[in-house]
This record gives sequence, structure tokens and C-alpha cells, in this order.
Amino acid sequence: MDEKAILLVEDNPKDEALILRALKKNNIGNEVVVAHDGAEALAKLAEPNAALPQLVLLDLKLPKIDGLEVLQRIRADPRTRLLPVVILTSSTEESDRFRGYSFGANSYIRKPVDFTQFAEAVRQLGLYWLIMNEPPPFERKS
Amino acid sequence: MSNVPRNLLERYAVALKSHFTGPDDSALTRAYELGRAALNDGLGVLDMATLHAEALRLAAVEGSPATKPADADKAVEFFIESLSPFEMSLQGYRESNARLMAMNEALDQARIGTEAANRELESFSYSVAHDLRAPLRSIDGFSQALLEDYGEKLDDEARQYLRYLRESAQQMAQLIDDLLNLSRLARSELKREMVDLSALARDVVAKLSQREPGRQVAVTVQDGMTARGDQRLLRVVLENLLGNAWKFTGKRADATIVFGTAAIDGMVTYFIRDNGAGFDMAYADKLFGVFQRLHSGHEFEGTGVGLATVQRIVRRHGGSIRAEGAIDRGATFSFDLGEKVFGANRT
Repeated sequence: MDEKAILLVEDNPKDEALILRALKKNNIGNEVVVAHDGAEALAKLAEPNAALPQLVLLDLKLPKIDGLEVLQRIRADPRTRLLPVVILTSSTEESDRFRGYSFGANSYIRKPVDFTQFAEAVRQLGLYWLIMNEPPPFERKS
Repeated sequence: MSNVPRNLLERYAVALKSHFTGPDDSALTRAYELGRAALNDGLGVLDMATLHAEALRLAAVEGSPATKPADADKAVEFFIESLSPFEMSLQGYRESNARLMAMNEALDQARIGTEAANRELESFSYSVAHDLRAPLRSIDGFSQALLEDYGEKLDDEARQYLRYLRESAQQMAQLIDDLLNLSRLARSELKREMVDLSALARDVVAKLSQREPGRQVAVTVQDGMTARGDQRLLRVVLENLLGNAWKFTGKRADATIVFGTAAIDGMVTYFIRDNGAGFDMAYADKLFGVFQRLHSGHEFEGTGVGLATVQRIVRRHGGSIRAEGAIDRGATFSFDLGEKVFGANRT
């Protein structure tokens, strides 16, 4: 994974296809690394000598380790604690939003059912987090 | 002496003495009556013992021959009889206590059951919210992908079918959201505070006209309307009722909506009146049922959950809601929040 990459943590292959499609349609050409469960996501972040992604798109309901726990572990690790994490989920349950922000999510977005809105959400997300937003300074291994 | 009333002591002493000397047991009836009087006066069993001892002493001073074993028996007999109202009352107390305990236990069981059911409902709603939406997103998303990538290879009819697919998926997503909100209402806590209904209504109307800036609607909101209720839930009420009025006047060039208050049957009543499509009063009782719609989706959009939600909120406030209308003559929804009119200036 290069340092412009997006780590997409998503277990539903159809949602994955739709997100990739929306990214492509909006000309967001960053490398997208997909993890299909929470454990895989943490493993990808822990790979030695690999750069950290520019953005993590995190689903909440995930096999093995759920999204909120992935988020907690990302924030607990000094190496990844500043990583921008955007929760991208179906749920708008108050408890999920509350815990998501409590555990240090940078943003919380509900996946719209309407693909036109979905694509627009992904476009704005990419524009904001990959272009407008200045990333935190990581101590990178040279 | 203790708190035994003097006159009770005297009556007791007289009756006790007549029991020593009387030819029959008629004085025992007096003992029972005196015991009941003492019980009603709030005296306890220990007061009775004091009373009995005092009365015995009085009888002795007055020269009663309470020395024979038979007299001692009679004294005990009299005492027991005077205590029997206490015994009976204790018995009744024990029984009602046992009944109360049983009822408490039943209530406890019911509470535990309700809590478990609520937890189950919560996790059920959660999976509904999360898991039912994912396939809908796929149906909508891939229909759109087909339209975009293969649209040229499809004829008009095929493209129309794909649009129907998308519409239905989005409609179902809306339904899921509405139903979830409805079920959350049942569980959320009611916080009563003073709510400025006039300001709330103006805010709701402003958002409606923002969404449809092309619409010309004459909205009149009475000034200074307040209510004691849950701010968040009352907003949902006004969003639905004003939103309906807005929606169902959509085919009127002279659309008019009035939100005001009046005293009806001694209750502070709020009404929202419009001159829109109205409805047939024959179906008035169906208006508030979940999924009940009096208009087809062709005429007006909607999921049929809004008024059910409104009614639930109004009832949770201890109030009620009614609808009046006629086809093409508009509709009036009146609701109260269980608050009675006080003072003429409230009307």
C-alpha cells in the first residue's frame, strides 16, 4: 500500500463493487486496498515497512473484529493513532454514532441506498479527505 | 399511664367487672367492641395489655373478688376477647400482604419480560436497519450501473424497468427508515419542557419551502403558541402534519395552510388546516393506521407511516388527535396534549 492509498474495510462484495465504481466514476485514482474483515484490516495496517494509507473507510458490522473495535485498536497504536478514519456504514443508530465519535472517528457517513446519492457522497468524501484535508504528520520509516 | 384514653379505660373496667359478676357471657361482646374501638383509635396490643392491667387494678380497688382462680380465668377470657379484633386485623394484614407480594412478583416478572422484549426489539431494529438496507443498495446501485454502462444496448422499455427497480428500492429504504423511527418513538423517553410551537412550526415551514422553492403556499402560524411536551417529538408531529398539508395542497394554485390553537371541550387544542386534496370522512378512522394510505402513489407520494407516528406521539403526551375533511375541500387535523384550558385568556 502506498501512502496515497485508501484502505477500504468492507465485507459486502456488492458494496465493495459499488464503492469502487463510485470512486472510479469520480476519477479518484488512488490505490484502493480492500480488507474484508476487521482482522484483515488490522493486519494490513501492521505490515512491516508498508506505508500507512491516506484514509481508512471503515464499515462497522464486520466479521471477526467489528469496525468499532478496529477503530479502537487503530487509536490505541501510536503508529496509527492519527490516521484519518471515516466510518461508512448502513447504521445511523445513535449508539453507533456515539461510540464511533467517542472512539475517535474523524467522520461518520451513512451509505445512502440511492446510488446517485452514494456516488455523490463518495465524490465529496474523496475530494475532502484526499485533496482538501492536510494529513497528519506521521513519523514514517525511511 | 400510657396513651390509653381515660374514658376507654373506664368503660373497659365497668365491662370487666360486670363479666366477673354477670350471670352470662354478654359482657364478652362488650370486650370485643371495646377492642375494636381501641384498634380504630390506633391503639396497639401493648396498650391493650396496659389497659387490661389498669382495669383489673381498678376492679380490685372497688372490692371485686378477683382472687378466685375462676375470676382469673374470666379476666383472661375477657382480655382475649378484647384482643380478638387485633388478631383479626393482623390476619387481614397478613393476607393482603401476601397478595401484594404475589402481585409485586408478577409485576417484577412482567418488567423483566418487557426489558428482555425491548432489548430483543432493539437488536431486531438494528439488524433491520443495517441488513435490510444493504441488498436495497445493491438493487439500486447495479440497476444504475446497468443504465450507465449498458443503457445504449437496452430499449426504452428495459430502461424504464430499471428505473422502476431503483424507485422501488428507494421507496423500501424510506419505509424501513420510517418504521424504525416509529418503533424508536415507543422506546424513547418523554422529556417535558416548554416548547415554542409557533417558532417550531415556522422552522418546519421554512425547511419545506427550501426543499420546494417553486411552491407558492400561504402559511399562517398563530403567534405565541406554546405547549408542554417533548421538543424533539413535537417537531416530528409538526413535520408530519405541516408536511402533509404542504404535500396535499400541491395541486392547488392558492394553497393555504393555517396553524392555530383553540379551546375545544376544555382542552388546549392545536389545529392544522389546509385547502388541499382532503379525504373522504368515511375513511377517517383509517388515517392513523400504519401503512394506511388514502391516496395512491400516483397522486401523492408517501409511505403511510407519518400519521401513525403523529398519533403515537400525541398519545404518549396523554392527548388525542382527530381529522376532519372532505374530498377536494381540504383537511383539518386537531390535537391536544392532555392540557386543560385554564383562564379565559388561554383560548
